[in-house]
Amino acid sequence: MTPTLALCRFELSAALRGRTAPYFAAGFGLAGLTVALVGLSAGGVLAVQGFARTSVSLLELIVWVVPILALISGAVAGADCHELEFTASLPLRRHAIVFSRWAASTLTLGAAVLLGLGSAGLVIGMLAGSADGWRYLRLIGVALLVLSATLALGLWIGVAAHSRFKAVGVAVAVWFALVIGVDLAAIGALAVLPPGEAGPWLSVLLMASPVNSARALGLSLFHTDVVAGPTGAALRAVLGQAGAWALTAALIGWTVVPLGLAGRRFSRSDL
Amino acid sequence: MIRLDQLAKSYGGRPALEPLNLEVAAGEVVALVGPNGAGKSTTLRILTGTVRPTGGRAFIAGHNVVTDAVAARTHLGYLSQRPGVPATTVIRDLVELVAAVRDVASSTAVQALADAGLGDRLRSGIGELSGGQQQRLMIALATLGPVKALLLDEPSISLDAEGSEEVRRAISEARTGGAAVLFASHQLHDVALLADRIVVLVQGRVVAQGTVADLAQAAGIVWDTSPAEPPIERIYRVLVSRGRKSAAGRLSLVREDAA
Repeated sequence: MTPTLALCRFELSAALRGRTAPYFAAGFGLAGLTVALVGLSAGGVLAVQGFARTSVSLLELIVWVVPILALISGAVAGADCHELEFTASLPLRRHAIVFSRWAASTLTLGAAVLLGLGSAGLVIGMLAGSADGWRYLRLIGVALLVLSATLALGLWIGVAAHSRFKAVGVAVAVWFALVIGVDLAAIGALAVLPPGEAGPWLSVLLMASPVNSARALGLSLFHTDVVAGPTGAALRAVLGQAGAWALTAALIGWTVVPLGLAGRRFSRSDL
Repeated sequence: MIRLDQLAKSYGGRPALEPLNLEVAAGEVVALVGPNGAGKSTTLRILTGTVRPTGGRAFIAGHNVVTDAVAARTHLGYLSQRPGVPATTVIRDLVELVAAVRDVASSTAVQALADAGLGDRLRSGIGELSGGQQQRLMIALATLGPVKALLLDEPSISLDAEGSEEVRRAISEARTGGAAVLFASHQLHDVALLADRIVVLVQGRVVAQGTVADLAQAAGIVWDTSPAEPPIERIYRVLVSRGRKSAAGRLSLVREDAA
């Protein structure tokens, strides 16, 4: 076993012993079932709605809740890197310490998302049929992508902030910026730019936030410009069918770049 | 085996360690002594790569601790003042990690732990151990595998008499095994007993270094080497006091220059 793999196993073992992951799994499972159950109640019908409707309803929840959980978890894990004097004195690269923390958190929280939404999906499938089940599976994929990206971002924040308290504060501020700030920028761009020129800028803005990238990617599952909003529609106009791949690449970029920056920052830090 | 070449560290312009030259040969034990804030831990932490120097270079087994850090740490065993891992870490996980990165069989690592009297605590979290048990665990891990340089920061802290004896044994065994040992301690009797050479640091600067006899001479204390117990505490007090006066003199000179 290579030293990096041994470190990943060590971090995974520690992450699995944490108490939060089972709560996250239960929360996502409950959320999935609740959305499936109450989705049709406004129309006076009490029935379990199918995967397509449930996926649309769950998407907003996922792009709001998963990033805040991941940003805070990542920020705490990143800040705690500065306490690892013994680990850092072992023959391991500092990048490997950051990477192993990210991998362990992604696997643990990813398993919680998979377990929670997966068990809700099983119940929905049994009660409402399996039609559009692939959309639900892809929605889980979107959740995992945004989880991975925002965990990496959180780690970078934590490593840079040093203290847990400061890291969590910055993580919450970044979450607000990602969830609301980019939308406000899009509205501003639409107001300022001539209609014909806004498309490329809006597409870039969509990729400037992992939350918006995940939302647009999730909505692309339903092939509807109406629910995609102006930025999603602009992306489709600019990139066509390649838009989903571009968004996936953006989310992978949002994982790799912050992770690299976190490793670089940690390598240059005194513990 | 350990070489410091004009090694220096400052924080925001304030020197924590002024250029320090030191060599510790294989099989040699060198102690760093001095009051709090003297730069002892900073020196050790630069060697472990957890603190970056602002000047000079340091080498372990010929590997630069900054530019060739992983290779340098391959030969390094380190005991810090605090465990340096989360309190929730399970001992077995930590032992397996250290065994894997040092390329030692897991069973050997577990045996080392049993020898340290912690064989029945493998499933415990580090935070569940007493201060002394934590220290014994970290010493067992620091000396695991083929260590060429052993760095110990206050190894006897939190230990009872039996634990302190184990530390002395661990240092002696490392020396016999050909490791270069550099340790920082406030336990002056241990220092006098174990160290081949002693480096006295005050406010980041070397005040004196050498054998106990050399330090006695530097302090102007006449010591007939025949008694078993050298007057190490008296020697230490004289040298530290002299170092503080010298530092205060430097500070006033700097202030006059600034004025």
